[in-house]
Amino acid sequence: MAWEYSEKTKQLFTDAVQGKPGTHLGEIENPDGLGEHGSITCGDALRFTFRVRRHQTDPTQDVITEARYLTFGCTSAIAASEALCLMVEDGDYTPIGALKITNADIVDFLDGLPEQKIHCSVMGAEALRAAVFNWAQKRGVDLKKLGVDIQPEEQQDGRVVCQCFGLTEPYLRRKIKELNLHTIPQISNAIKAGGACMSCHHTPGGLQDILDDIWGPEESAAASAPALPDGKGAVSESDAQISPYQFSKKVEKVIEEHVRPMLQRDGGDLEIVDIKDTAVYCRLVGACATCAVAGTTMKLLVEQALKDHVDERIRVIAV
Amino acid sequence: MQTIYVDNNATTQVAQEVYEVMLPYLTSDYFNPSSMYEQARGASTAVSKARATIAGFLGGIHPDEILFTSCATESNNAAIFGVASANPNRRHVMTTAVEHPAVLEVCLELERRGFEVTFLPVDTSGNLDVGGFVRALRPDTLLVSIMHANNETGVIFPVEELSRICKETDPSIIFHTDATQSLGKLPIDLRGAFRHVDLLSFSGHKLHAPKGVGALYVKRDTCWHPFMMGGHQEKGRRAGTENVPYVVGLEKACELAFQNREADYERVGKLRDRLAQALQEMIPCLQVNGRDAPRLHTTLNLACHYVEGEGILYQLSAHGICASSGSACTSGSLKPSHVLRAMKVPFTAVHGSVRFSLSRYNTEQEIERIIEVFPRIVSNLRKLSPYWDDRNNRPRPEAKELENR
Repeated sequence: MAWEYSEKTKQLFTDAVQGKPGTHLGEIENPDGLGEHGSITCGDALRFTFRVRRHQTDPTQDVITEARYLTFGCTSAIAASEALCLMVEDGDYTPIGALKITNADIVDFLDGLPEQKIHCSVMGAEALRAAVFNWAQKRGVDLKKLGVDIQPEEQQDGRVVCQCFGLTEPYLRRKIKELNLHTIPQISNAIKAGGACMSCHHTPGGLQDILDDIWGPEESAAASAPALPDGKGAVSESDAQISPYQFSKKVEKVIEEHVRPMLQRDGGDLEIVDIKDTAVYCRLVGACATCAVAGTTMKLLVEQALKDHVDERIRVIAV
Repeated sequence: MQTIYVDNNATTQVAQEVYEVMLPYLTSDYFNPSSMYEQARGASTAVSKARATIAGFLGGIHPDEILFTSCATESNNAAIFGVASANPNRRHVMTTAVEHPAVLEVCLELERRGFEVTFLPVDTSGNLDVGGFVRALRPDTLLVSIMHANNETGVIFPVEELSRICKETDPSIIFHTDATQSLGKLPIDLRGAFRHVDLLSFSGHKLHAPKGVGALYVKRDTCWHPFMMGGHQEKGRRAGTENVPYVVGLEKACELAFQNREADYERVGKLRDRLAQALQEMIPCLQVNGRDAPRLHTTLNLACHYVEGEGILYQLSAHGICASSGSACTSGSLKPSHVLRAMKVPFTAVHGSVRFSLSRYNTEQEIERIIEVFPRIVSNLRKLSPYWDDRNNRPRPEAKELENR
């Protein structure tokens, strides 16, 4: 699917990957603030660091002078990281002042992002919040006292709603309100929640329930598409109606006594893969597997021996 | 800038020869093959001839066993729903976890309609476990639908063997295969090694015919119910006026593919191998997905660890190179490829997968050009990646651990 990116987004991405002067690729050593968001399992991740010019007496007067990022992600994720650093550096912000930068500002800076890519800008804003929190801890600034509400523990402590991206209920509730999200597709586009296996859409306590709780049930979201069968690998067994134990023992005994010795004499062997009803699934191994008369061996030797000694109805199937 | 098209598992360019044979049926021979007047005879003859030619290429099956459809997705829908509706007594269906959505989604719909569906897993090379396949067969198994070659990785399933095991277990089990990626590339003889296959789907636009035409093979006496109703065409088994120019185009495309198959196999296979080998030598932490399995000679699916596929595709396209990725960012669903996840490709690489799929129109120079630009594209992105240690050109130690997730 071709994404429609703005010229600005494309330019920032291209400059970044080519490492043009003035781009912000990298990581500051011993940074004053470090924040991360996303993970490689989710498909994008950002490590954001900044340095401040420290104020002699009042840490809240620190000013951000330098910002850097490392980003694993798509074109727009890298462009959004670049945009974030540009905005943070150009504004002479204090760390708390930098919190004014929202994901919407990043989107505006990029001259817009495709709807499905809004989460890239959210990642930038979230990493910034985390970095500011980290700075406050290092500098001994009590954010709560200053009326700044950052709760990094919301991702650790809350109930996980979206398993695919590991997103918790407190985080989802905050972002749904902050970003004014009213439907499940809007949530998926903005913060990815529910965008993969989709199983959290309509389960109890799932995305729809959270939306209903925040906005009221009238605001119903669009129905979701069916999920793909991940984890459906398990093979169902249904051998219940046949009682194969004695039968299998007999088959094995005959093969042991009448078939194996002959095959082993020629450097080969036989493996029983499965027995279903009167069908015996076998595999010739060793020299027999590549033998030109393998098909005949199966029919004349194996099948005939089993027919003679166990049950006339037995069929041998090569696998 | 010259376009280098290496996304032939998505679609192919229409061959000049195909285009030329289609033209008269768009301009002068535009008649409805069902009409009675003399003028329509040409159109009607052309469809019959195409059917006979294609039947011949598939091992000399009866022409009436070929139905023309609009695409492989329609063929797959028709095959699976057609079998399900004609056999109400059996309720178990088997398929694999790595099918194209045109089979996977149809099977999920059957599940919603009360069928039981077994999705067979694959191993890390993309192979099916034949033992697991045997164990999954049940007395009430109605249908087994297993693709011939995988569209993402090119991994080939032993359809000949699997269909034989089905029929030897129980001749009433119906076997369907989606051969969209393999037809014209691998030998398919429906009277020989593939004689146990009852239904086979394919489309034109993967073998240099235009989009909008496909076919379904339905073996005679298969218990199957038509899907598309509303006309006598295709002996009432697929209603709708025959798409004469496209059917003629499909015939020509099959002719080109079957006649050049062995030469193409050799030449395109060499190009693919050269690309795989060169890139693996030049780029660390790069794997070929499905490397230990038999694979289509045209397909190369690479896992570039610690970078994201969309950024790769974007830079490739800046060089005129058209490829695709199994990354979540390119799927529109935020979810990475179900095929690569089923193969347990680690998350560190699944987002960085890139698929090159070649055709007979690719040249050596094009492949050399890709070899020239691709390593730089990956290293550019790795410089940006929080999981990569650029100074030592290796993953960061903490990132290595993520590989086992």
